[in-house]
Amino acid sequence: MDEQPGLSDQYRMSSPWPMLIAFGIAIAEVGIFWPLAPMAVGGLLMLVGSLVGMIRETGYVESPWPLLGGFGIALVAVGAALFSYSGGAFAVNSVAESTRSAGSVGLRGVSIAVSGGLAIVGALVGKYWTTANADARY
Amino acid sequence: MAMEGQIALTVLMGVLLLGVAVWLTRLEDWRSYTPLAGGGVIGDETGHAHHEKPSGIIRWFTTVDHKDIGILYGTYAVIAFAWGGLAAFLMRTELVTADITILPGTQVYNALLTSHGITMLFLFGTPILAAFANYFVPLFIDANDMAFPRINAIAFWLLPPGALLVWAGFFLAPFADAVTGGSAMSWTMYPPLSAEQTNPANDLMLLGLHLTGVSATMGAINFIATIFTERGENVGWSNLDIFSWTVLTQSGLILFAFPLLGSAIIMLLFDRNFGTTFFAAEGGGTILWQHLFWFFGHPEVYILVLPPMGIISYVLPRFAGRKLFGFKFVVYSTLAIGVLSFGVWAHHMFTTGIDPRLRASFMAVSLAIAIPSAVKTFNWITTMWNGKIRLTTPMLFCIGFVSNFIIGGVTGVFLAAIPVDLVLHDTYYVVGHFHYIVMGAIAFAGFAGLYYWYPMYAGRWYQKTLAKWHFWLSMIGTNLTFFAMILLGYAGFTRRYATYSGLTVGPVEVITLLHQTATAGAVLLLVGQIIWVWNMVNSYYDGPRVETGDPWNLQEDGMRGREWLWFERRLETTIATDGGDEEEALTDGGEVETDDD
Ligand code: HEM
Ligand SMILES: [Cu+2]
Repeated sequence: MDEQPGLSDQYRMSSPWPMLIAFGIAIAEVGIFWPLAPMAVGGLLMLVGSLVGMIRETGYVESPWPLLGGFGIALVAVGAALFSYSGGAFAVNSVAESTRSAGSVGLRGVSIAVSGGLAIVGALVGKYWTTANADARY
Repeated sequence: MAMEGQIALTVLMGVLLLGVAVWLTRLEDWRSYTPLAGGGVIGDETGHAHHEKPSGIIRWFTTVDHKDIGILYGTYAVIAFAWGGLAAFLMRTELVTADITILPGTQVYNALLTSHGITMLFLFGTPILAAFANYFVPLFIDANDMAFPRINAIAFWLLPPGALLVWAGFFLAPFADAVTGGSAMSWTMYPPLSAEQTNPANDLMLLGLHLTGVSATMGAINFIATIFTERGENVGWSNLDIFSWTVLTQSGLILFAFPLLGSAIIMLLFDRNFGTTFFAAEGGGTILWQHLFWFFGHPEVYILVLPPMGIISYVLPRFAGRKLFGFKFVVYSTLAIGVLSFGVWAHHMFTTGIDPRLRASFMAVSLAIAIPSAVKTFNWITTMWNGKIRLTTPMLFCIGFVSNFIIGGVTGVFLAAIPVDLVLHDTYYVVGHFHYIVMGAIAFAGFAGLYYWYPMYAGRWYQKTLAKWHFWLSMIGTNLTFFAMILLGYAGFTRRYATYSGLTVGPVEVITLLHQTATAGAVLLLVGQIIWVWNMVNSYYDGPRVETGDPWNLQEDGMRGREWLWFERRLETTIATDGGDEEEALTDGGEVETDDD
């Protein structure tokens, strides 16, 4: 070990994604549980966006966009399932109101699906209208 | 109203996401990460390391370096310790008098009690251990970093939102009518109380706890993977250090215990909000919660105590001038505790009317778990026996640990005996018992570690006199406060009460006096901790610089650990690059050269 002095100081140790992933989880969790649609949508976008960013950074995928699209499709599927489970009800509650009404379940479904839709749009825009493409940066 | 709120929130979220996006594009310049696996660039790049890390606060937001993350965990834990400590101090102040006098009401007391317990166990206890483990395990086992550095960072960053959610009731109460104050379910969250209280702060606390549980589990997986796969060539199982052994065992316990807590919390959340009946009398029953909770809860107490035992087993021998007595048996007892700790949970439920035959078997295992604990205690004492004892501050805290652990452990063995527990359950005796362990032992081990490695992570010396004050105030304060509680328990005084003015039986004057004694001890503790924080922060900026790789002079006893060798190399590389101001101090030292061959 002595032939590598100070080794653990040498790596370029930084990545912006872990913090964003953690915050995304937290924001999405509160947003979905307590149906606050904007937090649910924003938190989920932050979560899947950063996950894709990190997976790309570590070189597991070449281009971020197909993966982002995949996450988007999954979210749409989950959201749509929840929405149909609620029987298509939809209501915007205030915090003091019941979290278990059919309307609030529908709202959760819609917000998850919306975040998925936005992720898909993001993936399409990213792939066809930006230059941020596949080359790995390191 | 609801709609306007949603619109405002939408705008807020939009701005937040936009801010994040802008921040990310600005980071592009430095974002040139070298994957961990392909670190081929040794030799020539030495000393340029710090240029690669982004500077200032951004470094801390984006770091995936195990030492930085260790420091983040430590800072976080200290903040939580302050919050939990102030809550405790407020409660003790209230208990000076029999009636409610200081606090606005008993419900506030209950909220403080809940916040104190949850904060100390989940937001201070587990993270402070993660701080030590992150900083030192890779150094001890000669690894470059943790096995999954990014997962490591995710695990840490789940904690701050977790804490905000756990404490949310206090912050939101002034703004939201629905929130009536901090959550007041107590740390054990027993239904039906926890299912029926309508305060939304309870839901937020459950969500926050869930996040901290996810965080602990991620950390545990990481430590297991690191210790199994990242050990250096010279580090085998036979010479793995004692601290890493305890962290490995602890991680195993976390892996089995925390996911279970997570599931139970979700079930409770569903009972509260979605009409399920997991813990309702007409469904799974309230005792089901107690089984699930304590199946997690008892291992949790060992999750909290094993790494501190590791720190003591690691530090204490250094100042006794001899190797840890019976190293192997300390390792075996660690593993034994790890296994047995899953077989004792019902000793928290002796009074609930569970089947007496079940009770007896849990009593047997609970008594049995005292044996490996005692093995360790005897090994520490034998290590000191006839040793060359140096009463440095870390050593004082080690000895304090052993002393307090004996009282905490022996009271625990009493509680494990059913007939004794039937009398003492839910009295202050229990509170005294576990505080001797959590404050008297776990926190003391934390202090021992923080002082012992201070020269390493701060690069400077702390002020020794202040440190001694900190020790003695803590030692006397702990024993005053918690021994008074043990006596309160013998007097039959029940725990979790904000007032005691209604007492018609029992020795009322003695009880009042004991409460006041406990509060006096708490004052000593508070003063001691203020001195400690001052010492830590002040010395970080102004303390004398550490100039040698062996600041404790352990070399002469052959007790210098691997981490100090690393520290010495780092001192050398720092000198090589920084030049200028520091090297003059080194010329008279000369130690830098001697041990490095
Ligand atoms: C020698 C081993 C130990 C034994 C036999 C033991 C036994 C017990 C028993 C029987 C109880 C239940 C008392 C009651 O509620 O009636 C208890 C409570 C408790 N013990 Fe221990 N204990 C031991 C070590 C520890 C350690 C190492 C810790 C902490 C790291 C700890 C923390 C606690 C806590 C937090 C409680 C209270 C839980 C609550 O009701 O809020 N114990 N102990
Ligand atoms: Cu227990």
